[in-house]
Amino acid sequence: MEIPLEKELETYKRLLPTLLEQEGKFALIHDSELTGVYGDYEKALNEGYEKFGTTPFLVKRINAVEQVLNFTRDVATCLS
Amino acid sequence: MPIIVARFEAAGPLITSVFGVSLPRFNALTKASLTVPDLQPADALIDTGASGTCVDPEVIKALGLTPTGTVPVRTPSTGQGTHPAEQYDVRLIIPGPPGEAPLIIQALPVLCMELKVQGFRALIGRDVLSRCQLTYFGASTLVTLAY
Repeated sequence: MEIPLEKELETYKRLLPTLLEQEGKFALIHDSELTGVYGDYEKALNEGYEKFGTTPFLVKRINAVEQVLNFTRDVATCLS
Repeated sequence: MPIIVARFEAAGPLITSVFGVSLPRFNALTKASLTVPDLQPADALIDTGASGTCVDPEVIKALGLTPTGTVPVRTPSTGQGTHPAEQYDVRLIIPGPPGEAPLIIQALPVLCMELKVQGFRALIGRDVLSRCQLTYFGASTLVTLAY
């Protein structure tokens, strides 16, 4: 089964060492290419939808240590 | 500063919220002459124990969204480990009191979580609460949200 954004995530992990100078900003990745780095989430999304329309792309906050979202309530995630 | 009074129910404080496609997605759909899905109302639990905001898959499906992010999550079930969750970009509208402006976030990353079984379709997490002032009057079980 194909995992959504799998290729984009691999690309992010591969490029992370070179992106760390821009930690806290948002990387826009489509397929195996970094399209750009943006100062906020909405700008990265704007560029993503402008360039790729509704085809898949990844917007990922650049962090040296991956940020984990915590939930004290037991909730089940749903994967597409 | 508009102030919303939450309804206090068994699950906790609930407010009415409305989700739509994010503004960037709205612009892309419009530009491509595609139909923009209708806004989706959802009862939302105010949850200070949630790092991020979540919505039920019903909402994601109705908005026709595809993921634009992934993030590791930790819940009581994952123990010290984490598991990946997909993020979707949405527009969040929290209607204000009569005559007052709503709280609108034009582009917000949310997680897809099975929530409907718990009696609501969204969790408002600390990512949104960080933009508000949340007050709990314990003796009168009253929760207000100012923004």
